[in-house]
Amino acid sequence: MIAPAERLSIRLTVNGRVIEREIAARRSLADFLREDLGLTGTHVGCEHGVCGACTVLVDGESARSCLLFAVQLDGATVTTIEGLTPPEGLSPLQQAFCAAHAMQCGFCTPGMIVATTELLRTNPSPSPGQIREALGGNLCMCTGYVNIVRAVARAAAALRGGAGESS
Amino acid sequence: MSEPTGVPRWVGTALPLKEDVRLVAGRGRFIDDLGQPGQLHAAFLRSPHAHARIVSIDARVAAVHAGVFAVLTGAEAARLSGPIRPLIPTTAVVSDYCLAVDRVRYAGEPVAAVAAVDRATAEDALELIRVEYDPLPAVVDPEEALQPGAPLLYPELGTNVVWHDTLTYGDVDGAMARAHGVLRERFTIQRYASTPLETFGAIAAYDPGLDAFEFWTNDQRPGLTISILAASLGVPQSRIRLSCPDIGGGFGNKRRPAYLLICALLARAAGRPVKWIEDRIENLTALMHACNGVMDVELAYQADGTLLALSVRDVADEGKNLVTPSQHNLIKLGNIANGYRIPAIRYEAWSVLTTKCPSGANRGIGKPFMCFAIERAMTLLARRLGLDPAELRLRNYVTADQMPYTTPPGAQYDSGDYPATLRRALECFDYAGWRAEQARARREGRLVGIGIATSIEPAGTNLASYELLTGRRTVSGSAETAMVRMEPDGHVRVSVGDPSSGQGYETVIAQIVADELGLTPGNVAVARGFDSATTPWLYLSGNYSNKFSVTDVGAIVGAARKVADKLRRLAAHRLEIDPGDLELRDGAVVVRGAADRRVAFAELARTAYADVLGLPPGEEPGLESRHAHQNPLAAPVDAQRRVRSQLVFSNAAHCCLVEVHPRTGVVTLLKYLVAHDCGRELNPLIVEGMVHGSTVHGIGAALLEEFRYDQQGQLLTSTFLDYLKPTATDVPAIEVERLEHPSPFTPLGAKGVGEGGAIPGPAAVANAVEDALTPFGVTIRSLPITPERVWRWMRPGAA
Amino acid sequence: MKPAPFRYARPKNLADAVGLLAAADHDVKILAGGQSLVPMLNLRLVRPAVLIDLNGVPGLDHITPSPAGGLTIGALVRHAALADSAAVIERAPLLAEAARHIGHAAIRHRGTLGGSLAHADPAAELPAALLALGAELHLHGRRGARTIQASEFFLGLMTTALAPDEILLEIGVPPQGPGWGFAEVVRRAGDFALAGVVALVGRPPGSSGRCESARLVGFGVGDRPVRFAAAEEILTSPGGDASAAVARAASAAAEACDPPDDVHASAAYRRHLAAVLTEDAVRQALTRLDGARPA
Repeated sequence: MIAPAERLSIRLTVNGRVIEREIAARRSLADFLREDLGLTGTHVGCEHGVCGACTVLVDGESARSCLLFAVQLDGATVTTIEGLTPPEGLSPLQQAFCAAHAMQCGFCTPGMIVATTELLRTNPSPSPGQIREALGGNLCMCTGYVNIVRAVARAAAALRGGAGESS
Repeated sequence: MSEPTGVPRWVGTALPLKEDVRLVAGRGRFIDDLGQPGQLHAAFLRSPHAHARIVSIDARVAAVHAGVFAVLTGAEAARLSGPIRPLIPTTAVVSDYCLAVDRVRYAGEPVAAVAAVDRATAEDALELIRVEYDPLPAVVDPEEALQPGAPLLYPELGTNVVWHDTLTYGDVDGAMARAHGVLRERFTIQRYASTPLETFGAIAAYDPGLDAFEFWTNDQRPGLTISILAASLGVPQSRIRLSCPDIGGGFGNKRRPAYLLICALLARAAGRPVKWIEDRIENLTALMHACNGVMDVELAYQADGTLLALSVRDVADEGKNLVTPSQHNLIKLGNIANGYRIPAIRYEAWSVLTTKCPSGANRGIGKPFMCFAIERAMTLLARRLGLDPAELRLRNYVTADQMPYTTPPGAQYDSGDYPATLRRALECFDYAGWRAEQARARREGRLVGIGIATSIEPAGTNLASYELLTGRRTVSGSAETAMVRMEPDGHVRVSVGDPSSGQGYETVIAQIVADELGLTPGNVAVARGFDSATTPWLYLSGNYSNKFSVTDVGAIVGAARKVADKLRRLAAHRLEIDPGDLELRDGAVVVRGAADRRVAFAELARTAYADVLGLPPGEEPGLESRHAHQNPLAAPVDAQRRVRSQLVFSNAAHCCLVEVHPRTGVVTLLKYLVAHDCGRELNPLIVEGMVHGSTVHGIGAALLEEFRYDQQGQLLTSTFLDYLKPTATDVPAIEVERLEHPSPFTPLGAKGVGEGGAIPGPAAVANAVEDALTPFGVTIRSLPITPERVWRWMRPGAA
Repeated sequence: MKPAPFRYARPKNLADAVGLLAAADHDVKILAGGQSLVPMLNLRLVRPAVLIDLNGVPGLDHITPSPAGGLTIGALVRHAALADSAAVIERAPLLAEAARHIGHAAIRHRGTLGGSLAHADPAAELPAALLALGAELHLHGRRGARTIQASEFFLGLMTTALAPDEILLEIGVPPQGPGWGFAEVVRRAGDFALAGVVALVGRPPGSSGRCESARLVGFGVGDRPVRFAAAEEILTSPGGDASAAVARAASAAAEACDPPDDVHASAAYRRHLAAVLTEDAVRQALTRLDGARPA
């Protein structure tokens, strides 16, 4: 039986790269990603799981990185906004967000992209109501959500239209 | 105003934003993304009491905790720094330091600070600090706080009243006596705040060799903050450098020099940079709230609803705020008439201290409450007179042919067609159609309501209005500076003393300069944020009061035109032609009507920077210009105490459709339309986004948001679980209709748009819910409208 | 806000988990989904010396149909899995519906059934649903396994019958009838309910008389899920107009509540909602019993 410890070693995959680190048990996944791995695209807005700014994909499913300790992720796969951005240019979803001006300060945007990525994987033709529901766990203080909903609908159409079609 | 020197192509286009490209990829650089080598992390110990004497603080155990490098208490802060200078001078002068010294005056006030290897360790160390408090009675209600005998935050002042004054314009009492009737109502508004998603933060570093400080922060008012820091730290401003990265939303919230001061003192003590990022609890508890308050309104009217006089008694609850007190009062006074002709106006202002979070310049700075009171009063008056609420408003608007129109307190409405705005809103909303639908719904027992609210939406603040508080003028006007530099390669770099917090400056500034210089926005790089070492700035510089369109633009255009003029002079010298025959187009200076006779910018820049012997006689090297623009509409307070506290006026009309669940009181917004007029839209994408977002702020204040305190001054809503922000499922798609009446007084005819819907939104929603509850005869006088309150209103005997 | 320091362990099997729990001598918290616990850790509202992560213990996340027609559900089954599971939707649709109302997708991907039950927030949906369903909870501790009925499990405000050395392993859910209803009032979609009611009623199909069986449970209306026994009595008593019985049952439900007063709602309003939502939930259930879909 392993004794409980204040520091542990973990091995996980982040955006396709295998990472091995020794870290404090109480370090959140959000802080680990941002500070230990320099992946500052994931943002911290509340640290109590409400605002959604810290949303990432853990083993392919959206999760609040402020409510996970990095030590829990041993053996897991994490995808952040950096992993959802192509090496060159922007994804069709990101392009749709830009075309629709679906952000203003940009702080909520990575979380929105993660939540939207998940929505469109499971529901390629969401209605505006379904879009709003899927984004209901991500607060935006700037846009009033209108352009974000438009961007998601736009991206859904572009993705349905075929991989070669840009928004 | 004169035309741009280039060919205008970019201003007015819905150009997708440059900054969106990096933001959508998570490549923004916000304060928490920055770091200095060797930096420590700070945490603040905060008072658990709303009001208490600090008997003793013992931080010795904390100071030797592993990983701790510096500890600061209030007594040390008072020794090592000077008091925080107020931004708004009042007659109430006290010495407040960056940490509480002998007394705490709100729950959450910082009492001590620790710098450690990481935030978690710093928080561990806070728990080792022993503070002995002697609790004092809290005072949380502003009307109680202004009574003699109330617990005093500053006994040396002898009162909690920071400002009490009555300003009268015209014969108010006479008008009231002559009137057909006077509507009298009391309205209250709750505390709430825009709560940007990114919290406040700073990194401070001290260079002992230079005895100089450097700061990185998302502070919205860098010009002002530098001034306060320099004074408190006892160094000249030249030994302070402050820069702002990307700012994740501001809305007036991000400004607290005291926090930067704490970090500076820790950094100097520790010999390492110190970073502090506000957590959400700290943000909701202690950064700033919009003033709550009480307003007694008396509206005198003729039989046909023509307004004769308005008298307002306004008690603003400032919390513990002697840095920017009375700001809400002054702005309310400046906007008191809303869009109406009211010949006589009286305003009795109280700004009162209570043992709660400091107030601040939250989006709208008092205008949401002022608009709520006036628009509610107008709707109630319409009800009393049996008039449609739109009709009553149409009878009383200042009309387009009366522009510019000066209100009794001195506000000048410069442009706009308020009746046309309302009519457009009603038409596009299909007001008549929804009234018919409402009648049908009522017959089925459904509670459907329609609300309208209209508002002026000013831009630019003239700080001369502060003179109303003390009788002396120390700050005034509205001004900004910009620098435009054409680089040796012919591309352009711009910086402005106003750091964007989501308003798309990098794009819209590029559009403006591109038009001035005949370039594309792709050739114009706008500096991100702010850097006091390289950005031109004034004390008045910063991101506040919607001033971009009405003041900053003047600086940007001015600087760009100086460069344009120089380019033409250089080209004229080269081509041996009169500069008046030259225009700027497609990256070159071109002879008008002879496109083959041209000199490329890069070529002229080579002369200006490298081949300086080729310059015309008397011409300096380089192609860089600065321009400071002062909004010409600002003027001092006059002998009758009139002043333009805000300068240029957009306007809007909101129409809102709601349904109320008859058994639970839950309110659902079914439709929301805004018709707005901000003059010339510099970038319609940005403008529309501002209308959406600001309107949702208004809806949040109307239905969800409230900072609630108990009688002991404890904040009961200190997390996002309890302080409720609107989500995508709480608001409908905001429909936007635009009108365009440019201002004759701004360089490009543009007017402000940032505060927008935050101002009339609460009134529109309240009017709609009250309309839905017509069968119950309800009058809505306060916010937020929660399901429980609606239920109580619907109960028998509640009216 | 960062948690106070703790030691962390991720046992690989149940025996190790129980052993760690016992060794930690009270100053320990179990980490399952973490959606309720981690905010409290971050806020330093709880400061365990040891955190035991149960997510590495195999066999706790199954959804197994039982021969009797019900289900056995592992304590670590995520809310999202409950909501989407074909077996749950078929055999205990009330449970799937309740899970659907919890938070948002990111919360549902991590939050667990066992965690929700052990945390026992009185405004939570799942404890009420399981109480109404008459579920059995299977626990395991130092002294071995034991089973406890849901009706014996919730003892008070965020207090359950779980002993300090016990872990909730799985939940046995009896077969559920077709007459079910779920109604709640929230400030915003996904929030904790101001109040809610779940209803399970039985009645011969096509009849419009009294119910043969009724189980009504309120949440957010007491310090734990509240069984509206008197209201059930009214619904199942012979004679009288069935519709009037629903209204009387709703009043009885309201009277049975001792709801909290807090920033979101007063006791009086919650009591009122208990009546309104009882009526809604019962009517939904009756509609489903008749083979129709509720509005």
